[in-house]
Amino acid sequence: MRTMDWLRDQNPTSRAQARAGQAYLNWLRLRRNPLAMAGLLITVILLLVALLAPWLAPHDPIAQDLSQRLLPPLSPGYPMGTDEFGRDILSRILFGSRITLYIVLLVVLTAPVAGLFIGTVAGYFGGWVDAVLMRITDIFLAFPKLILALALVAVLGPGMVNAVLAIALTSWPPYARVARAETLTVRNSDYIAAVKLQGAGGGRVIWGHIMPMCLPSVIIRVTLDMAGVILTAAGLGFLGLGVQPPLPEWGAMISSGRKYLFEQWWVATMPGLAIFIVSLGFNLLGDGLRDVLDPRSAGK
Amino acid sequence: MALIEIENLSVTYRSKGRSVTAVESVSLGVEARQSFGLVGESGSGKSTILRAICGLAPVTGGTIRIGGDLVPTPRGRAFSARVQMVFQDPYASLHPRHTLDRTLSEPLAIHGIGQTDARVMQALDDVGLPQSFRFRYPHQLSGGQRQRVAIARALMLRPEILLLDEPTSALDASVQAETLNLLNRLRTERGLTFLMVSHDLAVIDHMCDRILVMQNGRAVEELSRQDLASAKMKTDYARSLFSASADRMLEP
Amino acid sequence: MTLLSVRNLKVSFDTETGVVEAVRGVSFDLGRERLGIVGESGSGKTMTGRSVLRLIRPPGRIEADEMRFDGVDLMGASETQMRALRGRRIAMVMQDPKYSLNPVMKVGAQLMEGLRQRDGLTRAAAHIKAVEALEAVQIRDPERVMLAYPHELSGGMGQRVMIAMMLIPNPDLLIADEPTSALDVTVQAEVLAILDGLVRDRGMGLIFISHDLRLVARFCDRVLVMYRGKIVEELAARDLLHARHPYTQGLLNCLPRIGGPRQPLPGLDRSADWAV
Repeated sequence: MRTMDWLRDQNPTSRAQARAGQAYLNWLRLRRNPLAMAGLLITVILLLVALLAPWLAPHDPIAQDLSQRLLPPLSPGYPMGTDEFGRDILSRILFGSRITLYIVLLVVLTAPVAGLFIGTVAGYFGGWVDAVLMRITDIFLAFPKLILALALVAVLGPGMVNAVLAIALTSWPPYARVARAETLTVRNSDYIAAVKLQGAGGGRVIWGHIMPMCLPSVIIRVTLDMAGVILTAAGLGFLGLGVQPPLPEWGAMISSGRKYLFEQWWVATMPGLAIFIVSLGFNLLGDGLRDVLDPRSAGK
Repeated sequence: MALIEIENLSVTYRSKGRSVTAVESVSLGVEARQSFGLVGESGSGKSTILRAICGLAPVTGGTIRIGGDLVPTPRGRAFSARVQMVFQDPYASLHPRHTLDRTLSEPLAIHGIGQTDARVMQALDDVGLPQSFRFRYPHQLSGGQRQRVAIARALMLRPEILLLDEPTSALDASVQAETLNLLNRLRTERGLTFLMVSHDLAVIDHMCDRILVMQNGRAVEELSRQDLASAKMKTDYARSLFSASADRMLEP
Repeated sequence: MTLLSVRNLKVSFDTETGVVEAVRGVSFDLGRERLGIVGESGSGKTMTGRSVLRLIRPPGRIEADEMRFDGVDLMGASETQMRALRGRRIAMVMQDPKYSLNPVMKVGAQLMEGLRQRDGLTRAAAHIKAVEALEAVQIRDPERVMLAYPHELSGGMGQRVMIAMMLIPNPDLLIADEPTSALDVTVQAEVLAILDGLVRDRGMGLIFISHDLRLVARFCDRVLVMYRGKIVEELAARDLLHARHPYTQGLLNCLPRIGGPRQPLPGLDRSADWAV
């Protein structure tokens, strides 16, 4: 109870408490949205599964056992069945969550940061800076995402890190656009005029005053895009250009199960379900976050 | 010599081939420690003059001098330590994601001034806000309290000149009275010079020694406080503004 | 004759921090007269006006012992019945015409829309009626205004168009919520004079909601003063200067006056008994 009072205190005594109180209010608002909570639950489960994979998985994800190949789901010891090399599909999916999360995290740490930087700088300075940066953005946007990623991987060579790099390089332009649009609405507001009037330079204004206003839109966009990132990673895996066998990447698993789709449907379906559930979770969470974080609703 | 000297100031906004002249050769002078009022209806260019002084509007002609020196472009830190502004809408002039502490300490950080804690506390005291508000966000404050924060922020750098852009038009009547009292008290205590804009003649009359009536970007008539009180205006426009003032409505 | 009677009206909102009561038990009667509701922001004056049309969105809630308009029980009326009342018998003019007119439709089309759909007039007949309505609010060249988009009109023009639009169906009651506070003082006087004349000529009831005591005193017969969701004083407009309640007195005294003394303006004592 005491923590609650501390969080709800109308007169916080430190910046940390003020921030925690705001976060708590947002959490209360998020909690009122059952779909967002479902999304959050799925995301948390993904995190836990990735963390605890070695303890949760009943088998080694890459150990082959040809005597046990293509067993159907619910076979003794193999709840989701086995694939063409007799590897346990459940264990592969559990370990695969680590790879998925790794890819998602790396993309999230690179693309939005780059996009945010480019977008706010372009929006704040305007003029030729804006023109140059936005035309570059347009060029990247003009390519279909997967094709551009394919081209990059083809140049860099297949592999997990290169796949992440390719995805990040193709997914920053939308963030730049969002950040720029947000910057344009914020740029002429009185509070920006006030801080300029106090003698603040461009860097300080962008970093301290404009970015915090763009961040919520970008965060929302990121959670909504995570599903897309997972799918692109899976797509690269499916085409054999992402994570290399025998690592249990979900897209690569679907790709290898394709050959058996009619007789042994579970080989491709199980990782497909995993991708579906995790993407859905991120989408629901992103939608809920939009209601909570949107700067237009924050003031009320 | 006047502290603020504006001569033949013109401001023209250009966008997409169209140009709009917001202010057309307006001249005015404000003595140190004086309070000068600009009054007019919307589109009269009164707020644009304040924004032009701060470098927030495109000056296309004329000169602005502060203490005898032409203002530099960009305005720079020395200027911001001398001239500060309070905006009209207290809901739009405070950063919604910064605590009061952050808002008030930002000018100190920009100018590399220390003793942040003491100065922020002192600033809250000066504008009559409890120190327990220090880590609140703007949305936890009423309009009047927000405007006090905006005033405190403008005074953080201890400027000599305060530009006031309709500082009370978004506030309730009773809060307006408190805010005007606060501004008057601070002016006497610190020897500030005010250049104030309002559409409300009664507010301007209460606050200012000299008044410039504006219409469509031009200066119409300059009045002293005594001229206004005794309705000694020479132009028709100033007279119609005077008789339409809400203040006159209670007269039988 | 009573046009509208409201008994013990309450409006509350459920928020994260608990229930907020915006209106706490307001009762009044209105005949074919001009009633002013005055109060500062948060006094519940706007909510009172909107409640009459049941225009409060969830999580807001309206409760009342009775709310009756010309024999119709407003609390018990269905949404269909309310829709039939809104606009046709009870009209509302809001503060800023910018947000009340459709920005992508010409003024004329907006004026004629209701006439053609609701009253089934032909295009030509609707056009004539719309021009008449614009003339009634003293717009000099109505044909030009009919062809204009809302953003091409000045604030005063926009507000006149709004008033014209609201008065076309000849409503019995007009609720005007701060109809002139977005306008310049000289324009404000004109718009108020037009509104005043129309209400007088057509014998409508008027609820005039404003934060400005002086305006209300000038344009209304009777004034309700609201503070924090309650009516603190009700008095005839001409007696306003002799108001007895300390809140009303405070509101009057805290305004600066031209040629007034230079002492600090008297503030409101919010710690007094009535303020709690």
